[in-house]
Amino acid sequence: MAINFTVTDAAGKSWTLSDHLDSAVVLTFQRGDF
Amino acid sequence: MANRHREFLERGGRVFAISADTAPMNAAVVEKMALPFPILSDTGRREAITPLGFADEKDPREISRPGAAIISPNAEVVFSFVGRDYADRPLEDVLLDELGALGLPPTEQPPPELGEIQPGDKAMPLRGLGPYYRGAKFAALAIRGRHRNLGDDFGDDLKGYVEMVDRYLEALPGVEERKA
Repeated sequence: MAINFTVTDAAGKSWTLSDHLDSAVVLTFQRGDF
Repeated sequence: MANRHREFLERGGRVFAISADTAPMNAAVVEKMALPFPILSDTGRREAITPLGFADEKDPREISRPGAAIISPNAEVVFSFVGRDYADRPLEDVLLDELGALGLPPTEQPPPELGEIQPGDKAMPLRGLGPYYRGAKFAALAIRGRHRNLGDDFGDDLKGYVEMVDRYLEALPGVEERKA
């Protein structure tokens, strides 16, 4: 099933998965507060 | 993953970290660790963390479980590893093998852009990471030594944890190299 989502990058800009699928996307999930 | 970023690009994968922290907190981590890839912010965990199965419902801080997912160019999740806890993370070699199996051409990824930088209240300074990792490693070794009677599963889990911490310790000089 195809997915898509929009989050925010570290510059405060919107980041949408479908804009970056001219390659594979490797997402590494972090607990945060590091 | 930062030290092996080039290997991901060579296999056609761009790397993006994601957390439930705010953009300024993520910017602080990118700067501290000199990461060659961005950290994305999903503060409500609604957009990606929960839909992809990474929400940690047991932790009251509303964070993500550690792990990784590979999304192919046709927007399919072709690999997913959800860690049981903060001590359970995917091996980079496994991710690289899964990515390589897609047979994609090499790609490039620009350095991450940063906006406002604001570390979280509990953020650890870079100089604290080495002692922190070494302390965690030796505590795990001590516990493993005390409980050898608990069987292979317990011993293997602790062995895996110590190996993970060793990888983190080995990666720390890479941070200084990227900052230089």
